[in-house]
Amino acid sequence: MLPGPCRMAPSTFVTERLSRLARPGQEFVECNIVTTSPSAPIVATGLVRHFGSGDSLVRAVDGVDLQVEAGEIFGFLGPNGAGKSTTVRVLTTLLKPSAGSATVAGFDVATQADKVRRAIGVALQDAAIDPLMTGRELLDLQSVLYGIPKSVATKRGPELLERVGLTAAADRRVGTYSGGMRRRLDLALSLVHEPSVLFLDEPTTGLDPMSRLTLWEEVRRLNREGTTVLLTTQYLEEADQLADRIAIIDHGKIVRQGVPRDLKAQVGSPTLFIDVDGEHVDMARGILERFGDLRPTSEGKLGVGLAQGAEAVASVIRTLDEAGVHVRHLELNEPSLDDVFAEATGYRLEGADQ
Amino acid sequence: MNTATTSATTSTTYFTRPSAVVGALVRRTMLRVRRMPSAFVPSIAMPVFQLIAFSGAFGAAVRFAGIANAMDWYVPLNAIQGASFGAMGVSFGLINDMQTGFFDRLLMAPTRRWSLVVGPIAGSIARAALPILLVILVGFLGGMNVPGGPLAIVMVIVAAAGVSTTASAFALGLTYRMRNMGAATLTQFAIFFTIFLSTSQVPLSSMASWLHAVARINPMTNVLRLARQGLLGDVTWDQTWGGLVALAAMLALSGWFALSGLKSLEK
Repeated sequence: MLPGPCRMAPSTFVTERLSRLARPGQEFVECNIVTTSPSAPIVATGLVRHFGSGDSLVRAVDGVDLQVEAGEIFGFLGPNGAGKSTTVRVLTTLLKPSAGSATVAGFDVATQADKVRRAIGVALQDAAIDPLMTGRELLDLQSVLYGIPKSVATKRGPELLERVGLTAAADRRVGTYSGGMRRRLDLALSLVHEPSVLFLDEPTTGLDPMSRLTLWEEVRRLNREGTTVLLTTQYLEEADQLADRIAIIDHGKIVRQGVPRDLKAQVGSPTLFIDVDGEHVDMARGILERFGDLRPTSEGKLGVGLAQGAEAVASVIRTLDEAGVHVRHLELNEPSLDDVFAEATGYRLEGADQ
Repeated sequence: MNTATTSATTSTTYFTRPSAVVGALVRRTMLRVRRMPSAFVPSIAMPVFQLIAFSGAFGAAVRFAGIANAMDWYVPLNAIQGASFGAMGVSFGLINDMQTGFFDRLLMAPTRRWSLVVGPIAGSIARAALPILLVILVGFLGGMNVPGGPLAIVMVIVAAAGVSTTASAFALGLTYRMRNMGAATLTQFAIFFTIFLSTSQVPLSSMASWLHAVARINPMTNVLRLARQGLLGDVTWDQTWGGLVALAAMLALSGWFALSGLKSLEK
């Protein structure tokens, strides 16, 4: 068999691209090429950020390595307090790294902060907007902050308002906007200077499903236009829908990184979740262990990764029935990002079902 | 993934003028004053109220020291006090911006850091203009003497604007470090003590013991002398330079305090 294209570890993104070139049955050749490309829009190497000192030292970001390629949407997934926002704050120059290094748009975040700021657009977790100002006034202010000439700003402001569907509300105070409108305005503000790299920190947290879909569509559109996007989220579905690649962060460390499809494939077997009467939980657990590895679940449920695949479901149910265990509810899930997360961290992400 | 894009779009590079940022932040301050006047009214009413109250309550004391009209003594004090009240507004505004995340937006702007400090200070001076002018107007209505002529009013305004700048820079420095409402309270405390441990109420010659010693070295005494000279007599260089030096020193210190505080936020 002819060797396939070489895989340039550790960039799974490149692997993903190359996998499309490989013929069926071809194997990759490991090239062992270090792929930390200086031209990648976002590169972090051994990034550390801690707070406090001595006994109260907290390592919010603990040796993060990541590389976001030009033109991709990169999902940064993790629960509250995992280190997502702190990483973003370091990459957007709001905090200095305690150790390690990072470049954004080719500039060092610690020593070339001003150049980084010029190249990036940022919409932080809470839409950072003054409720007493109108959408138009905020766009004007943002234009001044980025040195955009008035002649350009007067044209671009209305265009951006139109783009995010806020033309009619442009002269209303932001305090009267809904959550979705505020997020869309925040996004428009982050685009005033046409950044090449966009950071979106939990852009849809707290939004209703319709607003979330609208924002997703806008992020996809921006990406199609060439903007590299780093998106943090605690919603698995959001990462799955939007991201070309994801990194899962937990307790300040990246525990998994890659293309969602590959990561799911690595988890392998489907997961069977069952809900049994309280007095039968221990017995059920013992039975399930015969069919595969137990997997973390929400409280009151049991989960098992079926080593023999979905075909084993009938056997599981039969065995439980023979043992007198009454199954109240069962659910078979193909590997999802939730499984990837659970497998990587030992617990399931809060709000995974949202 | 945008597969067609192998290199990201290139941002057009513009140069941010710090002076434009300062101007925009001043406009924002004034806009907030217009849209939330309830937060601004006390800073106008208090100095006017105090001017009337002090002139009535302590008028006899200053007349005993040879000052014909208590307004001549208290107008500069209350103009300075009115100007310094703006510092608390600066502190509250900054805390609010920190809590809403708006301050992060300013920090992420590719502009000189000093413009983020000077902007709110300039806004505070603009805010202070109305109480200063109102105190002077009430002084005129109360029969204030102006033997120093128009220059006397200029001196009152220079002193008030200088104190406003110093107090605002101090408030920013403290708020950058504390990042909570306590900074505004401490700012008020510091301003109160600096003003009242000087010749704010009675002339230095009428003071005794430790209060005299403290007031004599308090730079605010020099600033008040600068402000009052034209209402008590002629405007002279002898009465002016001490106040200007005191203001310059206070400005340098508070400016450094504010800038270093801002830098500490980004560490």
